[in-house]
Amino acid sequence: MAERAARLPDLRADIGEILIGEEEIQAKVRELGAQISADYADSSVTLVSVLKGSLPFMADLMRAISIPVQIDLMEVSSYGGATTETSGLVRILKDLSSSIAGKDVLIVEDIIDTGLTLNYLLRYLRGKNPSSLRICALLDKPARRLVEIPIDYTGFSIPDEFVVGYGLDFGEYYRNLPFIGVLRRQLYETA
Amino acid sequence: MIEQPRFAHASEAELARILDYYGVRWEYEPRTFPIMWGLDGKVVESFSPDFYLPDLDVFIELTTLKQSLVRRKNRKLRRLRELYPDIRVKLFYGKDFRALMLKYGRFDLAASLSGLEGQLSVDRANARPKLAVVVAASPVLAEPAQAASTGEIAPGTSQPASIAAGSRRRVSRGSRRRRGRRAYAARLSA
Repeated sequence: MAERAARLPDLRADIGEILIGEEEIQAKVRELGAQISADYADSSVTLVSVLKGSLPFMADLMRAISIPVQIDLMEVSSYGGATTETSGLVRILKDLSSSIAGKDVLIVEDIIDTGLTLNYLLRYLRGKNPSSLRICALLDKPARRLVEIPIDYTGFSIPDEFVVGYGLDFGEYYRNLPFIGVLRRQLYETA
Repeated sequence: MIEQPRFAHASEAELARILDYYGVRWEYEPRTFPIMWGLDGKVVESFSPDFYLPDLDVFIELTTLKQSLVRRKNRKLRRLRELYPDIRVKLFYGKDFRALMLKYGRFDLAASLSGLEGQLSVDRANARPKLAVVVAASPVLAEPAQAASTGEIAPGTSQPASIAAGSRRRVSRGSRRRRGRRAYAARLSA
């Protein structure tokens, strides 16, 4: 038990710098919610969240939207995960619960860096014939982009730092931090 | 089974696997761009970006050299953009790639994919690249024993066997690709 405890991250001490504070995040979420509400006025929107990182953002964003919303969740396998060696291809681990055909769909993402996952998701969801398909990302890390993706709603454009918190993880930890912070470099780099 | 091209560097093989994983079509070094000519009109310098993504019409150049050693490549890239303004090229630095490996939980690869340490060994049975791996960046994040089981670590050291045995560790700026190909060819013939 003691050995296990020693391996747990120290949530606050492992953060070198708070990049975006809790209040700043909440203000931005309210701003995005108002903008989405205005853009989809007199209609409704289906928010599709991509697990797991976007869960806090989704939970806050949906409450900041004043028009009727429906929500759905998806999860796709990530490269390097347990499924990589078996299939060698990305897999839908959790598909949509209901049809999005003819609906206005807004993908809710925590962060877009390479754009590879989102590029795959866009192709997949377009095949389900939504009326419209847009993207809302809390964080955009353009320096890391491999595939250019048009982002309709962006919260913050961030520098090329390893960030955790507010859903973002490192080794599945740090997701519950209420802010977005830069992980101390020595935790993931050799000296 | 589609045969993989002979990648000059393990990071290129890894990027190819990532692109395959996400269903992004790619071509390896499909085109060479002349970027400098001699007085006689002969091409004296050219640039072959590592990947071309036809569906996205973008070239990707991947460099895992240390940041201080990428100046020459940056210069070539600037020249390429001057001469071919319609060509879209994305330069992916070593730090970008290591960050990508960290994102995907490949802590061992993040530590190893740099310069000569990332040179390929080849699983000749199925022609798929196999990576030489060093121990994880932090014992908190991955067990050394686990890294050792997947890589080629010399006993009592955190270096791959080829490096621990005393082979050159510094990578000259201009010859990484050529050296990589020679090493790759030597391994094939061994």
